[in-house]
Amino acid sequence: MTVTTEPEALLSYLQKADGSATFSYAGYTVIGAVNGPIEVQRRDELPEEAAVDVIVRPAAGVGGTRERHLESLIQSTLRQIILVNNFPRTLIQVVLQVTVAPENDYANAKVAQANLNLPILPALLQTAVLSLLSAALPLRATLASTALAILPEHGDRRIISSPTGRQIEQSQSFHVFAFTSHDELILAESEGSFSMKEWDDALAAAQGTCYPPTTTGDTDVLMDDDKLVGSDLKHFTRSTMEQKTASDLYWK
Amino acid sequence: MAQQTERIFVLPGDQINPSVIPSHPKRPLKLGPGLRHIPPSELLPTVAGQLVTDYKKNSIWVEYNGGRYIPAVGDLVIGTVARSVVDYYYVTLSDYTSNAALPQLAFEMATKKTRPQLNPGALVYARVTLANRHMDPELECVSATSGKAEGLGPLNGGMLYDISLGMARRLLMRKSVEEGKVVVLEELGSAGLAFETAVGRNGKMWVNSESTKTVLLVGRAVQETDEKNLDAEQQKKLVRKLVKEMS
Repeated sequence: MTVTTEPEALLSYLQKADGSATFSYAGYTVIGAVNGPIEVQRRDELPEEAAVDVIVRPAAGVGGTRERHLESLIQSTLRQIILVNNFPRTLIQVVLQVTVAPENDYANAKVAQANLNLPILPALLQTAVLSLLSAALPLRATLASTALAILPEHGDRRIISSPTGRQIEQSQSFHVFAFTSHDELILAESEGSFSMKEWDDALAAAQGTCYPPTTTGDTDVLMDDDKLVGSDLKHFTRSTMEQKTASDLYWK
Repeated sequence: MAQQTERIFVLPGDQINPSVIPSHPKRPLKLGPGLRHIPPSELLPTVAGQLVTDYKKNSIWVEYNGGRYIPAVGDLVIGTVARSVVDYYYVTLSDYTSNAALPQLAFEMATKKTRPQLNPGALVYARVTLANRHMDPELECVSATSGKAEGLGPLNGGMLYDISLGMARRLLMRKSVEEGKVVVLEELGSAGLAFETAVGRNGKMWVNSESTKTVLLVGRAVQETDEKNLDAEQQKKLVRKLVKEMS
């Protein structure tokens, strides 16, 4: 099983959508499309803010309870970063289609069906944020998300970021964190058994992956280029968007 | 426009270096699209793009391309009449959004007895007079101060093309050739083609001409310039190619 650890993205390539992105990371590829603000159905209308609608479609088959659960997690996360008060009585629709998911040869597909599908959450969130940026919807901040597994090892524990399917199988606990670009924790989901100390360690490790402490609070001009590593999602989002802006504003 | 020494790229929620915010002793600071002011003094970008400042006008905004058109007062737009009720036409500015209202008396020389008859599907070139997040936008096809149409009104014949919001903004610039770097329309004109265009800030361009060939050629040239990000030289080349193919 090959896992691409380098994140890759392609922006604004769907013609009919207001914003779109394809994002590949850790074996997952997700296509995201954002439309909004558009007219909302009367029953979903909110008088003071925009309704955010998230639709997750799996790589194979139709969505079930797992997808509904992911949708509710993503919806409550995105609602907090989109400036929903700017567009009352409208709808912002986010569609996330999974196209590639890593196959786990060791797990029985039928058993896996009943499980939660947390490992895909970071890829979905990241795609949603890139699509929102591509749709130029006003956001409070951007976000970055990562997954971690805690594996038992010689009586001790080891934290692995962006684990493979096999590593998740063996892990004692599995965690997904998301942080805004202001370094605030916005999503924390865990499964398995773990102590408070382990959770704290996982949180610190996740923070290191999403927003390395060396560059937090920078004013975006002076960045240390040596720190630009592939798994650093903050720089990834920034450089992707910077490229897009440069090509959009080629005439400036 | 003030000369920029370097391009400043911002993401939503980034800190803006206070030294780049223009300060003028008398005029108030003007905030353009893509910025959010949190009283008392915090200024945050809300979209990803290039931060642009104009020291002469004491204004600052974020330049970006993409997304859906959000009406703003004073914008020139091309709308499609969806339906008409007693005193209003309901006009579509972009797909799947609520309609804008265009009063039937907001046309040049319109009175209760003589008002333009517009059927569903008709195109109008209009100015946004009311844009407010809680209300549907309102339009006019006449200047409220002079009572003249000033180029606004129903668009008869021709064809409507979709372009990106950034391209529409460039075409609507007062100096679109110098600042917007779009020479395609000027080149087509100097190639001997006779046509008229109207550009809507909502990402629409209307082209009309005596000959259908010209309408198609102009529309395709602008759309290709937009999609392929052509610079001035490439635009000239494209026009030469298209004109040669036509004749």
